[in-house]
Amino acid sequence: MDSHPASSAGASPGLTHPGWRFGPATTWAAPALLVAVGYYFAARVGFAFTLQPYPISTLWPPNALLLAALLLAPTRAWWWLLASVLPAHLLVELQSGVPVAMVLGWYASNCSEALIGAGLARAFVAWPLRLDSLRSAGIFLFCGALVGPVVSSFLDAALVSLVGFGERGYWDLVATRIFSNTLAALTVAPLILTLASIEIPRLRAARTARYAEAAALFVGLAVTCLMVFNLPQFDNHTEPALFYAPLPFLVWGALRFGPAGTASAIAVLVVATIFGTVNGLGPFAGSTPQETVREMQLFLTAVAVPMLLLAVVLDERARVELDAREQRLQLTHLSRVAMLGELSGGIAHELNQPLTAILSNAQAALHLIGNKSAHPDILMEILRDIIAADQRAGEVIRRLRTLFKRGETQFQPLDANELVHEVLGIVHGDLVTRSVEVVSELAAALPKIHGDRVELEQVMLNLVVNACEAMGGGVAPEQRRLTVRTRAVEDGAVQISFSDCGPGFTPEQYARLFEPFYTTKPRGLGLGLSISRAIIRTHHGRLWGSSVPGKGASFHIVLPALAAPGR
Amino acid sequence: MDNGRACVSVIDDDALVLRSLDRLLQSRGFEVHTYSSPQAFLEQHDADTPGCILMDLSMPGLSGLELQQALARAADRRPVVFISGRSSVEASVRAMKAGAVDFLTKPFDEADLVAAVQAALEKDRASREGFAERASINFRLATLTPRERDVLSRVVAGKLNKQIAAELGTAEKTVKVHRARMMRKMQFDSLAELVRAWTVTQPPPPAPPQA
Repeated sequence: MDSHPASSAGASPGLTHPGWRFGPATTWAAPALLVAVGYYFAARVGFAFTLQPYPISTLWPPNALLLAALLLAPTRAWWWLLASVLPAHLLVELQSGVPVAMVLGWYASNCSEALIGAGLARAFVAWPLRLDSLRSAGIFLFCGALVGPVVSSFLDAALVSLVGFGERGYWDLVATRIFSNTLAALTVAPLILTLASIEIPRLRAARTARYAEAAALFVGLAVTCLMVFNLPQFDNHTEPALFYAPLPFLVWGALRFGPAGTASAIAVLVVATIFGTVNGLGPFAGSTPQETVREMQLFLTAVAVPMLLLAVVLDERARVELDAREQRLQLTHLSRVAMLGELSGGIAHELNQPLTAILSNAQAALHLIGNKSAHPDILMEILRDIIAADQRAGEVIRRLRTLFKRGETQFQPLDANELVHEVLGIVHGDLVTRSVEVVSELAAALPKIHGDRVELEQVMLNLVVNACEAMGGGVAPEQRRLTVRTRAVEDGAVQISFSDCGPGFTPEQYARLFEPFYTTKPRGLGLGLSISRAIIRTHHGRLWGSSVPGKGASFHIVLPALAAPGR
Repeated sequence: MDNGRACVSVIDDDALVLRSLDRLLQSRGFEVHTYSSPQAFLEQHDADTPGCILMDLSMPGLSGLELQQALARAADRRPVVFISGRSSVEASVRAMKAGAVDFLTKPFDEADLVAAVQAALEKDRASREGFAERASINFRLATLTPRERDVLSRVVAGKLNKQIAAELGTAEKTVKVHRARMMRKMQFDSLAELVRAWTVTQPPPPAPPQA
């Protein structure tokens, strides 16, 4: 049964191909044909979902399919699409023995529904419409699922009355058509719109676990729907509660699989419910068949609208958070690279030392061999020194490469003392050229901390560089001293402190110290401390400063021990 | 290579670099002493040993420039060649102003290193030789009587015996006797030698500008 909606949905990926432009008719042949085929099968589904023995259609999907196709296609292509469904419309309707005038009238009302919805939506949202924000979802619901069906239903009922087909009253026709077409618009159009915006590479990159989860969701939903809506009901008292049984699956879909997952889940629910109801099964039992269908349609509409909106809102929020996260990562990386730029002089020194040793050793060896005064022991010593110097240069480059890399935050167990050693190794050249003496007071056997190595090193580098710069001008070279302390504090947390003997800061300065773009340095960006604090915050730690003005400043980091931060 | 006992004192806190420079300079025939810090050098070196210093500009503790100043205070005019891992214009200007012979940026070419060290040793030799010559002339000057000094100062000023006699209010014959005795005491045979020795000892050669 649900192979029909699937085949009509299959038309969509071709429609959203980025290279899809209005051009020669051949460009349009394939998408138009797909829409036409989809329309045909959608109409067959619509007929299949007609309540027997009374000819009341519960769901009329062709119009919704056409609506989705128009929303995905550029405006210039609309006439092609509308023209292409005419043969499909004639084929499917004439099979059912409806008068030709009525068939053409329905073609006009069906097209008008899709055109009204898509045209109105396009006035608000640029092509193509995607269900990726609350605004576009709201516009879709209002234009496509409300205005389109309502307005076209008046036209449709008028045409029916005009042709004189059937015996039902005008308002009855209007109401029936509004409900079935709105439900179709809510079911079919979001499915096509969301499936069309799925990126195939991302789908391929998804892990098996994710596919397993999706399978569990849809199997669970299908089984639940079958049990609730496709079994004869005996006990009327349990009915209201039963309606809620599929909800957990819909919420699951909204939370984990976004609008596409939710639209698919809604489609499963709708198909299963209607299938049960048209076969006289399930909890919907009005006093007349019309009432039964109306109840069911109201129920499905009431479920579909909030679920779709919920999925879109969650998706939008997740995307905004991802953007913010990406920007934070970029900013963090930029400030790290800028800091390494400031350290380049010291880093050059660190690389020049081993390079000098290698060159001088090699030249000495050449002379010794040239003089025939080379004793193998001396040559061995020289070669050993060359190897050691080379390894040292390699180590400098390894540290740099880690810091230059722009990567995702990766939490792992870390040793605070090792981080301190690593950072002091990176700035060693700078400390020497600035004549800063380092005093390390590192507590033994610290608990491990949980964090991102590169980001924490960045924070420490920032604090060390700040300390060095604070001692640059006013402090005599022999008094420049940087004290690094690590210690375990309460709750198994680890504190790392950097103290300088520069001018320190006043409480007024401290109040602004962590603000972005606040700096006391002539060439600083003023981002270091604000980014450092943001990093420490994502590590669930604290970063603060203390100072005795004129005597020096201290900055302290406290990181919880191995407390996995929520991510 | 004729450096006599002259020795290159290499100072670098980096053991790998220190050893490599030691080997390279030794392989080129220099006498080398190594020190791991400026303090160690100040404590251990013999000011009377001729030679030069090859040192890193930036080291923990006493910096290269500070050592240079300490040597200047101790009137040890031992020439210094600086090497540095970073070419800071400011630091090199200060070093050169303070009398450094050369400033090499790591990693440097062997030929530049050898040339700089040789120039520094040559400067040291020249200044030590000049010092010895001045000392010997001053010693001989000290043996002259005041009257002989008067004669000497006028002889080197290019005055004739007759003019000197008139200025000192004595006979030309007496001046001749003083002059001969003075020349004997100063151990010079010609007027030209005397004049050169006089200019060497006279106003102390203008000191290089101190930073």
